[in-house]
Amino acid sequence: MGGGLIGARVSRAEDVRLLTGRAVFIDDVRPPGLLEAAILRSPHPHARIVRIDTAAAVAHPGVLAVVTGADVRALVHRPQPLIWRISPAGRETVAYPLAVDKVLYTGHGVAAVAAVDRATAEDALELIDVEYAPLPAVTTVEQALAPDAPRLHEDWPDNVAGRTVVAKGDVEEAFAQADVVLRETFRFARQLGAPLETRGVVATWDPFTSHLDVWLNTQGPHLARELFAEVLGLAVDKVRVRVPDIGGGFGSKAGFYGDQVVAAVLSRASGRPVKYVEDRRESFVATVHAREQRIDVEVAARADGTITGLRGTVHGVLGANFSTVGLSPCWTTAAVMAGPYAIPAVEVNVVGVVTNKPPYGSYRGYGLPKANFVHEHMVEALARHLGVDPHDVRRRNFVTDFPHQSPVFVYDSGRYAECLDLCRDAVRRAGWADRVAGARAGGAHVGIGYAFHNEVSAFAPSRIVNMSGLDHSGFDEAAVRIDSTGHVSVHTGQTSMGQGIHTALAQVAAHVLDVPLDHVTVISGDTDSAPYTGYGTAASRAAAVGGAAVLNAATRLRAKVLRIAAHVFEAAPDDLVIDEGVVSVKGVPGRSVTFADIGDAAYRRPHGVLPEDEAPTLHEREVYDPVNVATAFGCTAVLASVDVETGVVDLLGYLIAHDCGTVINPMIVDGQLQGGAAQAIGGALYERLAYGAAGEALTLSFAEYLLPTATVVPPFGVDHMETPADHIPGGFKGAGEAGVIGGGAAIAHAVEDALAEFGVRITSLPITPPDLLAAIRAGSDR
Amino acid sequence: MKAAPFDYVRASSVEMAVDALRDGAVALAGGQSLIPLLNARARRPAVVVDVSRLPLAGVEQVGSTLVLGAMTRLRAAETSPVVRRAVPLLAEALTHVGHVSVRNRGTVGGSVAHADPAAELPAVLLALDAVFSVRGRGGTREVDARDFFRGPHRTALAADELLTGIRVPLPPATARCGIAELSRRPHDLAITAVFTSVVLTGRVVTDVRIAVAGAAPVPLRAHAAEHVLRGEVFGPDVLAAAAEAAADATDPIDDVHAPAAYRRDMTAVLTRRALRQAVPA
Repeated sequence: MGGGLIGARVSRAEDVRLLTGRAVFIDDVRPPGLLEAAILRSPHPHARIVRIDTAAAVAHPGVLAVVTGADVRALVHRPQPLIWRISPAGRETVAYPLAVDKVLYTGHGVAAVAAVDRATAEDALELIDVEYAPLPAVTTVEQALAPDAPRLHEDWPDNVAGRTVVAKGDVEEAFAQADVVLRETFRFARQLGAPLETRGVVATWDPFTSHLDVWLNTQGPHLARELFAEVLGLAVDKVRVRVPDIGGGFGSKAGFYGDQVVAAVLSRASGRPVKYVEDRRESFVATVHAREQRIDVEVAARADGTITGLRGTVHGVLGANFSTVGLSPCWTTAAVMAGPYAIPAVEVNVVGVVTNKPPYGSYRGYGLPKANFVHEHMVEALARHLGVDPHDVRRRNFVTDFPHQSPVFVYDSGRYAECLDLCRDAVRRAGWADRVAGARAGGAHVGIGYAFHNEVSAFAPSRIVNMSGLDHSGFDEAAVRIDSTGHVSVHTGQTSMGQGIHTALAQVAAHVLDVPLDHVTVISGDTDSAPYTGYGTAASRAAAVGGAAVLNAATRLRAKVLRIAAHVFEAAPDDLVIDEGVVSVKGVPGRSVTFADIGDAAYRRPHGVLPEDEAPTLHEREVYDPVNVATAFGCTAVLASVDVETGVVDLLGYLIAHDCGTVINPMIVDGQLQGGAAQAIGGALYERLAYGAAGEALTLSFAEYLLPTATVVPPFGVDHMETPADHIPGGFKGAGEAGVIGGGAAIAHAVEDALAEFGVRITSLPITPPDLLAAIRAGSDR
Repeated sequence: MKAAPFDYVRASSVEMAVDALRDGAVALAGGQSLIPLLNARARRPAVVVDVSRLPLAGVEQVGSTLVLGAMTRLRAAETSPVVRRAVPLLAEALTHVGHVSVRNRGTVGGSVAHADPAAELPAVLLALDAVFSVRGRGGTREVDARDFFRGPHRTALAADELLTGIRVPLPPATARCGIAELSRRPHDLAITAVFTSVVLTGRVVTDVRIAVAGAAPVPLRAHAAEHVLRGEVFGPDVLAAAAEAAADATDPIDDVHAPAAYRRDMTAVLTRRALRQAVPA
């Protein structure tokens, strides 16, 4: 086999619909009788709800249902579900879709209205009278851990939600024997994934059959179906989740949100379909936040630059309530803090701290960008301390023997030193050293920074993910069919959200079957008919495990096609070749049978074509559960200039060398890397969810929360290398999150290099002009 | 979010608009600031008076004055050869206002009446000694730019008055201009911006205007800085002194983008840079 489509830079099949305005997004879903919902949100960061009076809202013309937090609680069978338990003995928050007795953050939902349109629903919200008794709030880890801190959950002794530790080797010994010990504290601001399309749901409760029919722009329709069933006390077959086109996910749409349940409850109360779409302002309080951590670390090293130990503590600055994934992003930071380095002794504590902010959940990169920032900073610091080239420290410590048991995960394969060289070659080819020298001669401050990352992708092996605390499988089911015209349909449980997964899976199927790409259609997004996939399209797993599942199913289907053709030719299947959907006998090009001929026989006219012992239809199903994760890796280089009078950073160049195993479509991988890198730029220089002294939310629009725009994202250069995952059919590794992981550290190092004369060290993100200017001035004073 | 309910009046004449304007009413021009505020329910007018169809658009030079109709789109003013030739500082300042799509819809009158303390247009018009034509029920009055801006989003306009035009005295042909703006991303609302116009006779400064946006509750005219420069030979020492004088005049705020002290310091940096842009070394 080998139709040449794996590895082909082909245009995405999704794009014609998306670019011509023919996509159907959640807000385009308008069943007859649709109502629209709005949610009343707390203006206080922390307050007791003394009284809620909804009478005036209920009486408002156009309003068909009003529910309070207590109403919703009475209708659900259990609190909001948690699917990732890092600290099984630790405390878990008990949260319902809307606040019940207390509001715990600015924007916490209190009541909801369904009305004939959104404006009417919002008018009615203003008629709901809530009496609050404000309480003191905590928004920083230090405030939350203070001995006299107000407690968010009054039955807890403090604000600590859970503790765990990631450990390997003898850390005490490593530090006792160290020639060098370096310490640092890092702080990462709170951010959120901000997809172009906000989250939304259309829920229809059938009062006669007790079916719940949901349209949801989720990354995990099967997970949503399971959790709707759990929360509402329904059998799974009574819940249907359909996914329309999705305008970006980034992990924000991976969780199971209370507002989805609220829409279902409002539909039940009103007898009508109910749509709830968070608007952009709400998204800043209603969609999960991410990234905010304080990390204290120490590294132990020998005088030759060998890192012998790593220890420290990750404080996850959680929100008031757990998101669907609880403390796991912060645990992930600890789990991968050794990164691509073979550090024999590691002990990283993880402490989850609740604060009066929205829940902390998944966002592209999960815990990895923070871990990467830490290990790359420490590598550079060690190199400075020892007076050696940081790349020599990287090389000295890179994992070179695979498989490698890191503190948690087993790295399957990698060629880290070659990838570092590939990146440095790209920098040489781009002539950055001359640009830096020229700029510095002219008095400008320009520098180059690097970061090397590795990434636990294809986070799918069900037993491994269960052992990590994820209470959900990670396998992937796929079905591949050939129809009576010889065309192919691929059925997947993965979700298309703009990343191009339909095209990638179509390429795999077309490659294996040797059919033209435009003969393949990928179908996904309806739990009533789609194959199952564990927990959803996240954690850089769709192309790797979805691709492997399609590859295996298509391989079996190809064998059946060849058996049928062999029967026609009275030849052995091994003597046949397929080219562009035409089967012929090797060396006998005159005789051929097409996929259309075989499809026709398999479905409509079997007589004389289909062998007696072959079942009709051309359909193969595969359930693929990998034995291990797949470790992708890459190196990022950034060229940056700093205005030392203003503290403004400009990015002048951005190069990525990357290896995600076998590349299915380099253009898609380039896009994934570039999109991730843009988000890394946002996190490094612009994005911060800010809170005031009293705990009030200060970032409620894109005027305050600054995303990287086209004007601040430099041109990217991407170089690929391929180290196939030999345990995954096809050799695929994940690529969806890679771009975001190393960007922060590379940008910080470019800034440090540009400001070498001032000795500026970047230990927190984002790097804002006022903060950087203060650091420059402090450096000038030294 | 969706706007709270309001009544809507589409004015077909200035008289009709003025008649509809009163306490609780607001004029809608290009909508680039007002519509988001309405949708966030941050402004809840009883009546929105749509003035966008009034015949108040256009740019012309009348003798030694540039006259802009209030409904002139920002982009039209920016790209007008008349503006570019007569008042280059204004044309250049307009290129900094939002993105092109915003300037296509936004109007010069709307930007002035919205009176955002960080906006370019109020500050540059203050530097240029512009005069605003204001129509009320009693007729038209003229308000100097220096008297117009009263606070963040507050102006000398009474509830029943409409800004109809802007008159800008032409600077001397020898005036050189400079703009230095600092924003978090290009085309964002400025953190701080400085607009300068300098006339030299030989090396001596004979006229200078300096206005600062984003450094006080209203756009600032840096009179003390101008005083430092006027009559002096243009050079690094007076530049530094003028920059400090401009910074001393500020009364900035803290917000999520920058603390007040940073805005003050940037006023000095940007004043020096704007003056240097006007008169390169």
